[in-house]
Amino acid sequence: MQPVLDTLAAARDTTIALLDTAAAHAMATQPPQGIERVMLAEDKLPVVLAVVLLIWAGLLFFLFRTDRRLAKIERRLDDQ
Amino acid sequence: MALADRDALPALRSTPAFRVFTVFAAVWVTVVLCLGFLGAVSALPILEHTARNLYFHVPMWFTMMLGWLVVAYQSLRHLMTGRRLHDVRAEQAAHVAFLFGLLGFATGTVWARFTWYVGTDIWYNGDPRQVMVVVQLLITGAYFVLRDALREARQRGRLAAVYALFATVTMPFLMYVLPRRMESLHPGAEGNPAFSEMDIAPEMRWVFYAAVIGFLLLFAWVYQLRVRMRVAELRLDEREPEA
Repeated sequence: MQPVLDTLAAARDTTIALLDTAAAHAMATQPPQGIERVMLAEDKLPVVLAVVLLIWAGLLFFLFRTDRRLAKIERRLDDQ
Repeated sequence: MALADRDALPALRSTPAFRVFTVFAAVWVTVVLCLGFLGAVSALPILEHTARNLYFHVPMWFTMMLGWLVVAYQSLRHLMTGRRLHDVRAEQAAHVAFLFGLLGFATGTVWARFTWYVGTDIWYNGDPRQVMVVVQLLITGAYFVLRDALREARQRGRLAAVYALFATVTMPFLMYVLPRRMESLHPGAEGNPAFSEMDIAPEMRWVFYAAVIGFLLLFAWVYQLRVRMRVAELRLDEREPEA
């Protein structure tokens, strides 16, 4: 378990190093700003909700679009 | 096959079997959602609860790729038989697969924003995985542009089918081989296995498999609806050309 945690800690350090060091320093010393105040709360659970809502929104969009096209077809059938 | 037969479209219907299937799919996905939020996840720094996105983000890609296999299969059948039904199926599978691809990209971006790029304002940083995904979406998007550009139905079907087959071949490379070889923040980069790096708790593995199946079921559902819709439109067009 410890080697895994070490690897992940190293990965996080690499992440920070890859990003601008000033930003990384700001991240370490300041509380989350803006949208992050919501998203990072509750151990980042809102991020999972955002992902699920995105998928749900995409599916809903598709469902409504399909329904509209079907309605058009049905109207044409009625006119016949 | 006589020319008339090739263009023939069957009268598709909603069958009882399909209705049972949709109820099954709905229940399955609902259970996956519940398990996804309530089940245990490995305690990982930076990721924390977002590890649960494994159940939602990753299946988008499995679904997109398998959806595109459907496109490839139907395109091949269209080229072999010339039947219009296969062209219809190929196009609708492409639509639904593209939707899942877009969702995969959007969900991945949101996930990355609050993990890889947490503390910064970065939403997109040219990470190799993200770039490859954008390229893949452009390639699959071009399928629709191509279809739109061709007026004659038979030519459209055949050229689109050929393009679809080429697009399918690019997929394993852009989605799988290349990103794994490049330096990336995405799990599975630089030759590392994607799963063990996340130190998946055993329970997560099963929920993940269930999630993949669930989204594949959703794909099948939406795909079938779209095919029925398109066939109905085309049959109406034949009977009574749209004004």
